[in-house]
Amino acid sequence: MAFRTLFLSLVAFGFALTSIGQVLDDPVEEARAQALMRELRCVACENEPISQSSAAIAEDMRARVRVMVGEGASDAEVRDWFESRYGEFVLFRPKRTGLEGVVLWGTPFGLLVIGGLIAFGVARRRKAGADPVVPDDI
Amino acid sequence: MIEIGHLAAFLALAASLAQGVLGLTGARALAGRAAIVAFVVMVLSFATLLVAFAQSDFSLALAANNSHTLKPMIYKLAGVWGNHEGSMALWCLVTLGFGAAGALWMRTGRDVFEARALGVQGWLATGALSYLLFASSPYLRLDPAPLQGAGLNPVLQDVALASHPPMLYLGYVGFSFVFALAAAGLIDGRIDRVWAKEARRWALAAFIPLTIGIALGSYWAYYELGWGGWWFWDPVENASLMPWLIGAALLHSVVVTEKRGSFAAWTALLAVLAFLFSIMGAFLVRSGVLTSVHAFAVDPKRGMLLLGGLVVYGGLALGLFAVRAPKLDGGKPWQMLSREGALATNNVVLIVAALTVLLGTLFPLIAEATGRTISVGEPYFRLTFVPMLAALLALLPVVQAWTWGKADLSNVWKWAAGGVGLVAVFLLLGVSLWDIPLGAAFGLALAIWLIFGALWEVRRRAVTLARVFRLPLRVWGMTLAHIGLGVFIMGAVVETTQRYEATLALPAGGSGTVAGWDITLKDVHAIEGPNWYADKAVLTARKGGIKAEMAPTKRYYPASRMPTTETAIHKTGTGDLYIALGDRRDVDGETRWVFRVYFNPLIDLVYLGVMLIALGALFSLVPRRRTA
Repeated sequence: MAFRTLFLSLVAFGFALTSIGQVLDDPVEEARAQALMRELRCVACENEPISQSSAAIAEDMRARVRVMVGEGASDAEVRDWFESRYGEFVLFRPKRTGLEGVVLWGTPFGLLVIGGLIAFGVARRRKAGADPVVPDDI
Repeated sequence: MIEIGHLAAFLALAASLAQGVLGLTGARALAGRAAIVAFVVMVLSFATLLVAFAQSDFSLALAANNSHTLKPMIYKLAGVWGNHEGSMALWCLVTLGFGAAGALWMRTGRDVFEARALGVQGWLATGALSYLLFASSPYLRLDPAPLQGAGLNPVLQDVALASHPPMLYLGYVGFSFVFALAAAGLIDGRIDRVWAKEARRWALAAFIPLTIGIALGSYWAYYELGWGGWWFWDPVENASLMPWLIGAALLHSVVVTEKRGSFAAWTALLAVLAFLFSIMGAFLVRSGVLTSVHAFAVDPKRGMLLLGGLVVYGGLALGLFAVRAPKLDGGKPWQMLSREGALATNNVVLIVAALTVLLGTLFPLIAEATGRTISVGEPYFRLTFVPMLAALLALLPVVQAWTWGKADLSNVWKWAAGGVGLVAVFLLLGVSLWDIPLGAAFGLALAIWLIFGALWEVRRRAVTLARVFRLPLRVWGMTLAHIGLGVFIMGAVVETTQRYEATLALPAGGSGTVAGWDITLKDVHAIEGPNWYADKAVLTARKGGIKAEMAPTKRYYPASRMPTTETAIHKTGTGDLYIALGDRRDVDGETRWVFRVYFNPLIDLVYLGVMLIALGALFSLVPRRRTA
């Protein structure tokens, strides 16, 4: 894996220098590469994915995504490669591990459950004598 | 001249104070007069700023820092609010404008209540004006006056963006009056049907410009930033989305209070929260706690003052709420499977959606405190925010016919079968024919479901075709807004999943193919504008029999040493061909220009949908005709 990574990064580097703007021949692979580019943060910019940035480093990063996808790397492998190189900061899709990850991904779901329970609780207390009434306008 | 404006702002402050004191003591007529006086002198004050910018009077520090003689007149004027101090002056102007409008157009027949609402609004205006005059004064002179101004952030020199802040502020600050009504209602201990009728009108008056303002900002980002997309989950965008979501929840909840007297405490709370989220948006943008592409005038001290205001007003309002809420009248009984239950579900999901946006926006800060650097971006919101709203909207066509109190469930199974069938058809079509992701197939099914459901509801209510046009305007408003959501979703799903993007590096005369378009670069030449110079590329795009000349440019503004992209957009019936000019590269001794080329399918539906929502809200605002 380490050798493969090194090899890929060398290829990617050379690729970036010689062929700006090449896309992958296989449209399915290209679409996958573009989806990944929207999830990786440009390390030199403010809050932009590499798909949007015109910075030189973003261009290199894009080329690397394409090479790795072209070589058959899975989405997870591409993300892992970028994370090992630039840190978790580079992932716009935060990981679900660790306390922070669980809180971040779990809170919306937890709030929905709590909100739903409150609504049901109020409805239970107020339901005595409820009669259907047709709305007059809205 | 500016000194007159400065003085006028102090007079506005005095009038607002008077409005605050008189209003809370219950003097409706006097508080109303004070509100109108405050607004009129503030208009005068704001006009002096506009005149100074129009005349490029650089003895005004604000103009010197943010304007330039060579700037076109419209951007000179827009320059007044294209910076922190001026935008706060606009905030004050709009606050006082809503106070004056309230003084003129409140119609509850309750003098003491209306006086108190004006009083609370007066105190909000006092806070805003004090912040303006003592912490971010736009009226300061510069001596000696510089000969030339430092310009305005060039990305902001744009028609859509010049009108974006006033619209957004009309929305944000419009919620201040809803806040004032809620506070006055809580002081009165009466959050009832009369109150709800009044509050609903003002909530709509804020919601409409907020919706348009967000759309303008998004449209600007679409064509000016050159990134092909229209929503980036940027903190500043999120800051405007949160009050919008709370406002949408409020508009649904206030109907329950108006029609049934129920949800009184909850509606009052939302009315308070809508404005608190608006101030919080201003705090997040202005304090610099968040990094953002659009953040300007970042200053921690001002941020702290805004936070202080948020804590004081929020604390007072929530304290008042805690005391009064248990004593409010509960309204008519209801069970979960009813119109009330459906609207409660709407509120739970919209509020959780707003809190999810808040969490995602602030989480990088929270995680940093624990030593982890996390980026929260589009994938997070796509996997949390989007599915919860999609689930809510999927219920809408089923529940919209439900009666108050208790629903008649005899048709539910037919609706459920219809919905499942529609999803099955789209999944099948999506997989076998269109080759789109499953999520996109669900999204398209949802869009059709919503549009169909809204039209079905019109049919159900009207019974016969002849009666369709006699339906109350509020019903049309609701229908248009819900159709707008469907249209928006259709555009958003197709655009985000089927957008095609590619980078081309072309020498003069070179060509490439993107999404079936043959794109040829004729040449790139230099052009000059009043306060910028630019590289302008001329390209020909061909597909089938269609031929389009496209000229993306890249401008440089020497006054601020910044480049901006001016994208070229060719509209076709099915989407936009979109080209942005990037850098110049020299490869193997040959000069090449880098272009980012996108095809954005059905992007217009995104904006059409949002405009339909705003139009629907406008229809809902028109008072009901007396029907015979």
